[in-house]
Amino acid sequence: MTKSKKEIIGIRSVSKIYNLGDTVVKALDNVSLSIFENDFISIMGPSGSGKSTLMNIIGCLDVPTNGSYKFNNEKISEMKDSQLADIRNQKIGFVFQTFNLLPKLNALQNVEVPLVYSNLKRLKRTEKAKEALNIVGLSDRINHKPNELSGGQRQRVAIARALVNKPSIILADEPTGNLDSKSGTDILNFFDDLHKAGNTLIIVTHEQSVAKRAKRRIEIFDGKITLDE
Amino acid sequence: MNKFFKNILIGFESIKSNFTRVFLTSIGLTIGIFTVSIVTAAVSSIDKEFAKSIQSIGNDKIYVGRMPWSFEFDWWNYRNRPEIKEEQLEYINQYSEYITQTSMKQNYWTRASFENKASWLQMNGVYPNYGEMLTGTKVINGRFFSENEWKLQRRVVIVGGSVREGFFEGKNPLGKKIRLGGVSFEIIGELEKTGSFTPTGSLDQVIIMPSTTFQRILTRWTWNEFVLQTSPDNINKAKEEVRLIMRVARKLKPEQEDNFAVNSADAFTKQFNQMKIAIAGMGLLVTGISLIVSGIGIMNVMFVSVRERTKEIGLRKAMGATNIDILIQFLSEAIAIAIIGGVTGIMLIRSTLYFLGTAIASFDFGGIEASSIDLQMDFLLTFYTFLVCVFLGLLAGFFPARTAANLNPIDALRHE
Repeated sequence: MTKSKKEIIGIRSVSKIYNLGDTVVKALDNVSLSIFENDFISIMGPSGSGKSTLMNIIGCLDVPTNGSYKFNNEKISEMKDSQLADIRNQKIGFVFQTFNLLPKLNALQNVEVPLVYSNLKRLKRTEKAKEALNIVGLSDRINHKPNELSGGQRQRVAIARALVNKPSIILADEPTGNLDSKSGTDILNFFDDLHKAGNTLIIVTHEQSVAKRAKRRIEIFDGKITLDE
Repeated sequence: MNKFFKNILIGFESIKSNFTRVFLTSIGLTIGIFTVSIVTAAVSSIDKEFAKSIQSIGNDKIYVGRMPWSFEFDWWNYRNRPEIKEEQLEYINQYSEYITQTSMKQNYWTRASFENKASWLQMNGVYPNYGEMLTGTKVINGRFFSENEWKLQRRVVIVGGSVREGFFEGKNPLGKKIRLGGVSFEIIGELEKTGSFTPTGSLDQVIIMPSTTFQRILTRWTWNEFVLQTSPDNINKAKEEVRLIMRVARKLKPEQEDNFAVNSADAFTKQFNQMKIAIAGMGLLVTGISLIVSGIGIMNVMFVSVRERTKEIGLRKAMGATNIDILIQFLSEAIAIAIIGGVTGIMLIRSTLYFLGTAIASFDFGGIEASSIDLQMDFLLTFYTFLVCVFLGLLAGFFPARTAANLNPIDALRHE
């Protein structure tokens, strides 16, 4: 890690504790992690290891019980719901395993969803969404509904949606989990391209082959980081 | 602001994809709106009719008769009261401060005929100055009878507005001879057609003649009334004054009750208002119930909608939607359902009123001008109805929308 890079995410001694009746579950136990600009990180771990919790906290969907979380030097751990929504909208792009496209909207409208919440005018929205679809190579599919697209294409629409607000990081949760190997490889190649273009990527996965693509690998077990290289 | 409208649009779009469900839900509200509108339209139409009737009684007139204008009719008491006599009018003329004009008005129903047509009509025997005291109508053709004709007991009459059609096939009745109780009278004047039905009979079917002629030819035994003119501001003072003068004229002792009645339009107003409140109260009760039921229906459908779209809510939140964004989205969906129901209701009520109006107009109410029964739903009422729908949608949608807005994005995303 070259220290000259700008730190985007700074997690310091973060814990997340769930109270499930009598039992107390420590999903994250005193985790510290720094993520820098243009990192390409994979997070691995078995289920129940706490990787989803870490994802959710990085993605500002959840706040830690203890510790501090800084995003671009802003203290996320002290933010209100509406401010978190704003961070998610502007700084983070999500890619999900099940794509999570809205079935009644076409590709273009799906990509526009985050822009709606950034309060952009309609023409500007369409322009930016088309641009993003162009990047993922789907400019000829903008009027297609998700059920008219292949799995790989759907995931690319989802990536376009993640890219459309030019976020600081892209968080992908098992992005190839629901794809055949060819489409999966395509998507991973595309992630390589995104990294080369200067984007910061975090991929959560349990497949070694996917994790190997990343430039930095993090493994997590029982709420603790066991590997970071 | 952009975002605000877009949220509303997103809410509306979900209506499109679930139209059958939305439509069925909104029918409840349609029925609610339908009843409330029918009741309001009925009350406001009755109101208008009533205002017309009151106008023909006059808010500046006092009527002295044997019986009070009341629905609590104590017939056996009133029927034994002495007849209202012309001499007593002299007292009023002499002593009253507030009364400016007075006339006798004798009432009698008799058979009127012209050539082969005949009908029972109301005869009024009055003084010559009654022409100036006519309320709600006026002489539009010909003239009222003169002082001389009154003194000479001439057989001249002024006929109500519907006599022209009833007897003369719409032709000018002036100068024609009409037979009343078997005696021939000349028509010298015609009243304007009012179409209003008063509690004392329709002005359109009345025949007015000098009271002298009335007594000479028709009958001496009639139901007499005094018609007294005052000003609307003085009406209550004048009524009390007339009451006292009448007691003097009839030489009543202090312990004796009035054996006459001093009437004015407000007697009807009071009773009418009670009736109106009763109708409106019933209507509001029925409407209230149906609005609550349809509100619950909308709420139910909204909860279903929130549940169905939990994943979408999670996704939208992950993409940066705030709680307020989601709240607006679902609230506008609920409001849209309510508006669909309401607008359907308004259209239904409007067409019903239209057909009802046509049906009533072609129905004969024994001579009352049917077209005068005027069912109305004005723009303001439509607007209020619309507001009620929006409010109901807001109310019914609030809890489901709040549930949606407060969903945790992580759980919502995981929801299948």
